[in-house]
Amino acid sequence: MKTSLLPLRAVITGIQGETEDVKTYSLSLEGSSYSAKPGQFNMVGYPGVGEAPISLSSTVSEGRFQHTIRTVGKVTKFIERFKEGDEIYLRGPYGSCWPLEDAMGKDILLVAGGVGIAPLRPVVQEILQRRDSYGKVTLIYGSRSPDNMLFMNEFDMWRKNIEIFLTVDEVPPHMKWDYDIGLVTQGLDKARLNPIVTLAFICGPEIMMHFISRGLFIRGFLPSRVYVSLERRMKCGIAQCGHCQHGSKFVCKDGPVFIYRDVSRLPDGLL
Amino acid sequence: MTGESAFRSSNFLIPKDSFFTFIDTLRSEYRVFGPVKGINYTVFREISSSSDLFMEYQTTMLSPGKMFLYKPREDILKFRMEAPLSIEEIAPEIEKQVIVGIHSCDINAILYLDRTFLGAFIDPFYKARRENTILIGLNCMQVSENCFCSSVGAGPFLKAQSGYDVVLTDFGEDYLLEVKSSRASELFKMKGKEAGPDEWRIKSEKEESVLKSFKKVINVDGLDGLFMKNLDHPVWVTTADERCLSCSNCVMVCPTCFCFDLVDEMSMDLKEVRRIRQLDACQDLRFAEVHGGNFRLRRASRLRQFVIHNLNYTNQYSVIKTVGCGRCITWCPTKIDLTEMAKEIQRSSIK
Repeated sequence: MKTSLLPLRAVITGIQGETEDVKTYSLSLEGSSYSAKPGQFNMVGYPGVGEAPISLSSTVSEGRFQHTIRTVGKVTKFIERFKEGDEIYLRGPYGSCWPLEDAMGKDILLVAGGVGIAPLRPVVQEILQRRDSYGKVTLIYGSRSPDNMLFMNEFDMWRKNIEIFLTVDEVPPHMKWDYDIGLVTQGLDKARLNPIVTLAFICGPEIMMHFISRGLFIRGFLPSRVYVSLERRMKCGIAQCGHCQHGSKFVCKDGPVFIYRDVSRLPDGLL
Repeated sequence: MTGESAFRSSNFLIPKDSFFTFIDTLRSEYRVFGPVKGINYTVFREISSSSDLFMEYQTTMLSPGKMFLYKPREDILKFRMEAPLSIEEIAPEIEKQVIVGIHSCDINAILYLDRTFLGAFIDPFYKARRENTILIGLNCMQVSENCFCSSVGAGPFLKAQSGYDVVLTDFGEDYLLEVKSSRASELFKMKGKEAGPDEWRIKSEKEESVLKSFKKVINVDGLDGLFMKNLDHPVWVTTADERCLSCSNCVMVCPTCFCFDLVDEMSMDLKEVRRIRQLDACQDLRFAEVHGGNFRLRRASRLRQFVIHNLNYTNQYSVIKTVGCGRCITWCPTKIDLTEMAKEIQRSSIK
């Protein structure tokens, strides 16, 4: 019997710089039957350095998928130096996914903050593949500043099929910015949402998800129609190491995507 | 192991001498562990003769489940770093072992660990050891001052009917030996006086009398909801700030605390990396740290996590985590008592 902690070897087939500290890595697990759903994550790392939980930032096709990684810690700093053709070690996919099945025939609101857009990108990709299955789709995406926005070059293509509202906290002098300035929550008013037929998928800093959720409830959303993706420290990804415990839940197994009402008012959470 | 049904249940009285002689015969085929009297405390360790055993022990510092089934530290994977890098799986060592004289609380703790390591994902290391370990339970007659197993259904006498092999009850010169698994019924082919109504009556009288000796009692009914309503209760901050040292003793001695860390260790010649699993503790500052924040930065939140996880969160595995062994109280340098903290919240909510 193999341990679930055994990593697979993936080859980096391409690296795309997104911002100063974020890169998107195209990976290939050749010959494997690997598949994953939007919202799930892998434990990504390298022997001698360790592993970190990273959401898939694309859908999976024939063992090929992407991770969009911000350089912030020991593992991600190590990965940051990798070149095309290098090997990376990962295991997964783990956790729950965005409820794209339940959302069939309904409107979808996506709200992302910062690198929180990464786990929502495969949602957009999947929606674009079967656009007729869903009603109105809206993306509200906020970031600190224009140079922190990810996937800007893809938005023109997305805009043909979904409505997009972009906002930043501030624009440095002399930087061009054609969209909004202000908090992500302000996007909720511009988006003209119908709470009765809309499912909301939110990913970003927990405090942002708190205010977005609150904003949605004020506008008539039920807590059972709001989904959030939580971030916690994880070592195993298989509900054993205990680091990601949130209330009685294991974020790695029961999450990371939760219905809001299942994770609100828990100790040490902000929702 | 678990889920066994088809075996002839047998329950009989056996002279202690015969039982210990039998344990000695097992040593040819098994490594045998049991409670051994040390200078100050009894500890579970490997015995070289049944005469090493001290069966009238009070709760040990470490539980047998977290010594011989779930190891405090073990190698999981080995990476050879010379190109091309290769991964070597470390096969779980299959060593047949017997653990004798496990108190009811510690048997229940093993059944709890099963839920983590034989649950949604199966850990091959734990599974191999679990399958190759015979568990001989002992109904407990030695209530220590911090024991509260009777309040949480984990003792002093064992109620679980499966998941272990044998349970003993001290009948003076004899043990009442109850066989609880098919492999035990194969193994314990000894003759003894079949237990009848008298023995069951005596057993329940013994249990009754042990139950009277508990000094620590807690009513855990409704604690789930009560804690959630009292996340800001002053007891968390006061106890944490005035007494908690974040030393993690409570977690290390807890027989059901399962949390671990994965650590990569590089060999001195840089040719090999071992990925090691070792015990970790929610009391450690970095335990819930992520980039840009720490979900349990405050000592009070870390202490609260330990207390609530033990007394609440029964819906995690649909069973309460604490087995009432009282180790976290005994080995806390400042004698923080989770039952007292819960009671303080209970008292203030009645007002």
